[in-house]
Amino acid sequence: MNTPADESADDLRYAEYVLGVLEADERAAVERELAASSAAAATEAQWRERLLPLAEQVAPQAPPERLWVRIRAALDFDSARSGRGLWDNLRLWHWLTLGSGALLAGACAALVFILVHRAAAPPIPFMAATMTEHNGQVGWTATMDIRQARMVVVPAAPQTVQPGRTPELWLVPAGGRPIAVGLISTHAPITLALSANLVARLGPSAHLAVSIEPPGGSPTGEPTGPVVAVGAIGAAPAGIVPATAQLLRTAPQRPA
Amino acid sequence: MNDTCTDPETLEQLLARTAMRDRAAFEQLYRQTSPRLFGLCVRMMRDQGEAEEVLQEAFITVWRRAETYNPTLASANTWLTTLVRNRIIDRLRQRRENTSTEAIDLERVPDEAHGPAVRAEASEDYVRLERCLGQLDVKYSRSVREAFFTGATYKELAMRAQVPLATLKSWIRRALMQLRTCLET
Repeated sequence: MNTPADESADDLRYAEYVLGVLEADERAAVERELAASSAAAATEAQWRERLLPLAEQVAPQAPPERLWVRIRAALDFDSARSGRGLWDNLRLWHWLTLGSGALLAGACAALVFILVHRAAAPPIPFMAATMTEHNGQVGWTATMDIRQARMVVVPAAPQTVQPGRTPELWLVPAGGRPIAVGLISTHAPITLALSANLVARLGPSAHLAVSIEPPGGSPTGEPTGPVVAVGAIGAAPAGIVPATAQLLRTAPQRPA
Repeated sequence: MNDTCTDPETLEQLLARTAMRDRAAFEQLYRQTSPRLFGLCVRMMRDQGEAEEVLQEAFITVWRRAETYNPTLASANTWLTTLVRNRIIDRLRQRRENTSTEAIDLERVPDEAHGPAVRAEASEDYVRLERCLGQLDVKYSRSVREAFFTGATYKELAMRAQVPLATLKSWIRRALMQLRTCLET
């Protein structure tokens, strides 16, 4: 049994936890107690209700729109309307990336397989870009689905970047300033939602580029790190378009 | 289908629908709460880029753990603020080198006096908390505010305020006990 003195000491510790003055190990200890005891969790919740209104003192500040784009990308959402699809199927993309060196061959084989087994679909506007590095090697490929306003960016092979840095994708309109598209991965396909503003600027006169940025992306809204790969935007290669369209159309339910 | 288009949904309802994997509800929750939460991230992280990262991580957690929200324990607003603040504090603990070492004088009222809420949308809870903070000894209330908005540990606060650790601890503990009493009346 806890004595009243113990309870009062715990009460104070939970208050200190909510306020945020405890050291990391003390915080971890409190978190274990909160997970183990509903009485502890209730006491801590009371302190939250008491102290957290102080946060209202801070003036609200709208986060940049790219943050929502990044959250959606990280959660692998597609457009909010069309719910679920093969596009969202992590397992498929994972499978497509298996054996990263053979990625494009594997992806093409998968698409050709589907193309052969399905009737060709009516045209849906797709565009693609192959971003090559300074040494001429393909760094990433991007396929853009204009109707659904999204883009999938796939590294051709695992890319090496400085530790603590992350690749960021930019749309560079002809003669215009780069526009941030989103953070991409060095080793996995990433699906990015495209704003109407971005979709309107996708076209054969524009390029995509990858720069190396601090975690979370460029702090200035313009590329701050070295640009490591660039590619022109063009029509998606023949064969990919109907096959990808078919992939999207015949999308099965996303596994739970 | 949601047919309550005349009634704006409460954060609790949005969070409940988010737990059911409703993306539209999640986006609405983000749109409604992110400016306030981002303001807090910027204030506490003191770095725009890090603030964005923390808020991104926090909302990813909201999507994945919305079903763990218990409306009998806390309001949705409190739940979200807690989630964000805990992320901020964990991050501050990992990045000791970024912690402010700027000296503070906790025994003096700062120039930008915080004062009770003037904003029209201030909640009753906030107004009451400000009233109770206003009744405390200045060094107690300043210690609590400084701790709340910097996420600093007792040790870091004592160093910045140039007072013994035991003194600072007693200030904050007395402040917390007095606040509890004041808020209960």
